Amino acid sequence: MTRTVVRGSGLTKRYGSFTAVDAVDLTLQENRIYGLLGRNGAGKTTIMQLLTGQLFPNAGELEVFGREPAEHADVLRRICFIGEAQRYPENFTPTHVFKAAPWFFEHWDAGLAERLVADFRLPVKRRIKKLSRGQLSAVGVIVGLASRAPITFFDEPYLGLDAVARHIFYDRLLEDYAEHPRTVVLSTHLIDEIANLLEHIILIDQGRILLDRDADEVRGSATTVAGARAAVESFVADRPVIGREGLGGLASVTIDGRLGRADRIRAAELGLELAPVSLQQLIVHMTGTELDADTTEEEAAA
Amino acid sequence: MTAVAAAPIARTEARSRVDEIWRIVRLHAINPSIFFGVPWLILGGAWAVSMVIAVIVGSANASPEDLEGMRYSWAVLSPQWYLVVVGVQAIGLTFSFALGFGATRRDFWLGTSLMFVLVSVEMAAAIATLVQVEIATNGWGIGVHMFDALWYGQNWLVDFYTTFALQLLVLFIGASITTVYMRWRMPGMMILLFGGIVLVLAAVAALTFTQSWPAVFDWFAAIGLVGVFTVLLVKAFVWAVAWYFVIRRATPR
Repeated sequence: MTRTVVRGSGLTKRYGSFTAVDAVDLTLQENRIYGLLGRNGAGKTTIMQLLTGQLFPNAGELEVFGREPAEHADVLRRICFIGEAQRYPENFTPTHVFKAAPWFFEHWDAGLAERLVADFRLPVKRRIKKLSRGQLSAVGVIVGLASRAPITFFDEPYLGLDAVARHIFYDRLLEDYAEHPRTVVLSTHLIDEIANLLEHIILIDQGRILLDRDADEVRGSATTVAGARAAVESFVADRPVIGREGLGGLASVTIDGRLGRADRIRAAELGLELAPVSLQQLIVHMTGTELDADTTEEEAAA
Repeated sequence: MTAVAAAPIARTEARSRVDEIWRIVRLHAINPSIFFGVPWLILGGAWAVSMVIAVIVGSANASPEDLEGMRYSWAVLSPQWYLVVVGVQAIGLTFSFALGFGATRRDFWLGTSLMFVLVSVEMAAAIATLVQVEIATNGWGIGVHMFDALWYGQNWLVDFYTTFALQLLVLFIGASITTVYMRWRMPGMMILLFGGIVLVLAAVAALTFTQSWPAVFDWFAAIGLVGVFTVLLVKAFVWAVAWYFVIRRATPR
């Protein structure tokens, strides 16, 4: 039986008149890899700060390991969250960070941290202030991996990392996750690179959840139908449309929902091309500005 | 959504509460120069300047009575102001970091308060001892009054007590005010600043209109030096408690 480790309902965080997180319901299961996806400013970091007790919600209920996270040491010691904009004490170096980490994370693996430092070629004696964006991301990634916390958050772990480093992160995360299963939440707006890693997708936009589904379901869930405008329109007439593009007499429409065998045969008869939609394309369709509001509501309710 | 019962927390705490508080102290001390190194550099620098001034004045055929004027130098207090800045930074940056590492605000408050007490004890013991050394060596051999200045020089215990009280007070004030900023940002700082000014003006006005100033001075004279610093120590305690209530809902930047 999978256990629920996080349960939030109606979570809301306001900053003055701006609502950063708007009545969000979510649950996280034990030992799964979640993708918290959305555009910049969608509310990803705010949600993570709420779940880790760094921020107090204005409304809603939240349980992490069965109780509110804020100010509960027994919950917080099971969580690791190094924010993308994490602040460090004056004159701190990565060495200081890794030295202090085992005081706070009981499962800290110093050997793993050392290997990762070598992999990422992180200059551990350099002051945090002087690190490049990618090196700063590497510090967060190393703490996240080596802490082996039952719930680990990675906030934009790819920010500034080069291709090799991104690959290392990807590999090490899967390796370590296989040996030490835990709940991982990855927030990112670079979706395609980690798409295959994710087991569950939570897509947020403007503080609301647009999509909260198993990743495999999401991957096969949308299709782009392309062909002559009239034929396309007749094919998609009674289907939920999430994206629409057209050029002259041609149209390309993205629809939500799986296509059955009969649908595919009919599409072939109409001379339409069917193409799978990548996670990234799907999310662009769902959070792009051309999106019509009704579809959003339906998706949120789904 | 599946309605599975939330996993009850398994209480496997091997760590004691003491560890959880002590790790905050260690976090502050991980870079020991900040709390324990730089204050000594400042004190050493002030001492060197005092010595040089004494030598210059001495070479101008000044009498030991002239050097008595050095008793009004504030050099002995110089590390205290630096430590206020440290207190401010400890909150602004280390608080965010400690929360990121899963410390509670309560433990951060307890650990940082303990750190403040340790630093105050260290500085107070050191300064009280240096006062005695200065007296014993007759002003480092040339009649300098750097440590044996202001109210210092009665005895070791009084010097220790007064330095400790003042140090603790300024550290807690620095930490509290920074936390007000962390929690309420600029509006909070403005309210605190103007609120403070209004309170002081109101107190001055009340004392002036009721012509109570002589009574106030009499009271200070009656409680004496140690009494005045006991008032400061009580104030430090009040600031520490107030700080706790502010930090309970503070959020990192």
